[in-house]
Amino acid sequence: MALLLRTLARQGVCISRPAYSSVLYRHAAPMGTTAKEEMNKFWSKNARLNRPMSPHLTIYKWSVPMMMSVTHRGTGVGLSGAISAFALAALVLPGSYPYYLDLIHSLSIGPFLIGLAKFGIAFPVSYHTYNGIRHLWWDIGKGFKIPEVYRTGYTVIILSVLTSIGVAFL
Amino acid sequence: MAAIVRLSSVCRRGVKPLFYQSTLLARPLVVPYKNQEQPYQLTARIHSSQALYAGSGSKAASLHWTAERVLSILLLAMGPVAYFNPSPVIDYSLAAALTLHGHWGIGQVLTDYVHGDKKIKMANRSLFLVSTITFAGLCYFNYNDVGICKAIALLWSK
Repeated sequence: MALLLRTLARQGVCISRPAYSSVLYRHAAPMGTTAKEEMNKFWSKNARLNRPMSPHLTIYKWSVPMMMSVTHRGTGVGLSGAISAFALAALVLPGSYPYYLDLIHSLSIGPFLIGLAKFGIAFPVSYHTYNGIRHLWWDIGKGFKIPEVYRTGYTVIILSVLTSIGVAFL
Repeated sequence: MAAIVRLSSVCRRGVKPLFYQSTLLARPLVVPYKNQEQPYQLTARIHSSQALYAGSGSKAASLHWTAERVLSILLLAMGPVAYFNPSPVIDYSLAAALTLHGHWGIGQVLTDYVHGDKKIKMANRSLFLVSTITFAGLCYFNYNDVGICKAIALLWSK
C-alpha cells in the first residue's frame, strides 16, 4: 500500500498541474494569500467584468436581528453626522449657543412637539447605547444562541423606548 | 486511509487547494511515512511554515479591535459621570471619546462598503478630515461656549 502511494506521488500523478512541482521544494512558501489580497482580487475582477451584484436586501427575509443590526448602524452613522454637524456649526456660526437656543425658544413650539423632538434625540442615543452593550456582551462570547439573541434584542428595544419616553418628560 | 483521501483531493483539484485546506496543513500526511523520502516530509515543512506564518504578521487589526471595545466601555462610563459631575474635564473627555468612537465606527462602515484601493484611500482621508474638524469644533465649543454637558442641560431645560 505504502509503496503504491509512494510511487504515485513520486511520478506526480497530477502532471497537468505545473504548480505541483512547488510542493516538492524544501521550504514551501507560506500558504495562500492574505484576506485583504483575496478581497481585492474579488472586487477588481467583478468590477472589471461589470458584473451586477446579486440581490440581497431585496430578497432575503427580514428578521428582527437583521433589522436591529441595520438600525444600530443607522443610528451610529446618524449620531456621528449630527455631532459633526454640531461641531461644524460651532466653528462657523457667529452667535453663541444660548443665543441660538433663545432663537428656538422664541418660536414658541408647543410642549407636545418639544417632547417629540426630545424623544427624537433620545431614541437614537439610547438604542445605540443599549444595543452597544448587547454587542459588547457578544464580544465576550455570550448570548449567541438564537433564543438569546431574540431575548436580548427585544430587551434592548423595550428599554430604548422606555428610556426615551422617560427622558423626553424630563 | 487518510493518505489516499488527501492525495486524491490533490489530483482532483490540483495543488492550489492544498494550501487552503487547513486540515491537510494541520495534520501532516507524513505520519505513517515518516521514515521515507523528502516529498512526504514536505507536508511537515508546510505545517511548520504555517505555524511560522501564523505567528508572524502584524497584530494591528487585533489591537484595533480591542481598542474599539475599550473605548466603547469608557464612553459608557462617561455618561453617568457627565450627568452627576459635569465639568470641563468631562467635557473634553467626552469630545475626544465621542469623536474617536465615531471615527472608528464610520471607518468600519467604509471598510464594509467601499472597495478598491484608491477609493478606500480617498474615503479614509475624507473621514480623517471630518473627524479632525469635529474634534476641533467640539473643543472650540468647550472652550469658547458653554461646553457639552451644559449644552445638553440647557437644551433639555426648554
